[in-house]
Amino acid sequence: MTKPHPAPLTLAGMAEGARAMLPLMPGIAAFGMAFGAASIQKSFTLLEATVSSAIVFAGLAQMVALEGWTQHWTAGSLLALGFLTLTVNMRHVLMGASLRPWLGTLPAWKSYPALMMMADNNWAAALRYRAEGGNDVGYFVGSGLITWFVWVLATAVGHLVGGGIPDPKAVGIDLVVPAFFIAMLLPNWKGKREAVGWGVAAAVSTAVSFVLPGWWFIVIGAVAGALAGGFTDDDR
Amino acid sequence: MTVDPGTLTAILVMAAATAFNRAGGFWLMRLVPVTPRVRRVLDCLPGAVLVALLVPGAVQGAVKGDMGMVGGLAAALVVSRLTRSDLLAVVVAMAVAAGIRAFWG
Repeated sequence: MTKPHPAPLTLAGMAEGARAMLPLMPGIAAFGMAFGAASIQKSFTLLEATVSSAIVFAGLAQMVALEGWTQHWTAGSLLALGFLTLTVNMRHVLMGASLRPWLGTLPAWKSYPALMMMADNNWAAALRYRAEGGNDVGYFVGSGLITWFVWVLATAVGHLVGGGIPDPKAVGIDLVVPAFFIAMLLPNWKGKREAVGWGVAAAVSTAVSFVLPGWWFIVIGAVAGALAGGFTDDDR
Repeated sequence: MTVDPGTLTAILVMAAATAFNRAGGFWLMRLVPVTPRVRRVLDCLPGAVLVALLVPGAVQGAVKGDMGMVGGLAAALVVSRLTRSDLLAVVVAMAVAAGIRAFWG
């Protein structure tokens, strides 16, 4: 097997990726502050909340885990927590798989640390960047780093400010990430293959979300849609 | 500034799980030969993940009567179709959602 030429990873690419995340920063900051404030209810210290955001770096999983957080961890409850985290964020397995053709050209000591910076928004933005002809892995890393930094900082601020945060829904903060996803999604539309793949993903994920508890609907819907789209043959 | 050992253990368990998820799919694809068919499925994956994240939330929002959410997402769809600007899509979606919630919320 011939090795493909490794993709570049430059500071300029990192700066470009970081800039592309700027429209999202109010949303990520609000979400991080909400986690920081909510963590107080579960007796997190400032340090614990900040460390959690820094090394777990998964907003949805952190929020969901907070619901069942306890002061007395047993082997059983730790196992349940690990399993919950795996399932809530299982989409990351699929997202990482989709990065193989790109990040797979790099040596492992670069690709695996880069993957630790993967969040929904920088993954979506980086794949759009690549679809438009970009190849600099720095874009993925830089957009991930700024997301991580704002997320961790906002967690600390939220913990310090506490309950004084206004309702994020009233100003539409909860729309930031989904609206960004829509903007990342639409340019991928090319025809029949997307019509089938996205249609199946929408139908299956929605149906599963009504039937199965938890977060299985994301992974099941995404796998069904990708298979349906990938096995749709058109003249591309 | 203290860290409770139990809480720290729980945080480390979560960190291990998210790291496993982030690395796992990428690692697994090392073992899968990237045939043209696999390549096509991988190409369809990003769109499918985004749709699976977006649509159930929108439908559940509509079912619960959160018209701010529905209107905001519809606005994002129209704006990004017309302008291809993610910044505009985000700002208009927020404004529409906040407006609807202020009047009917």
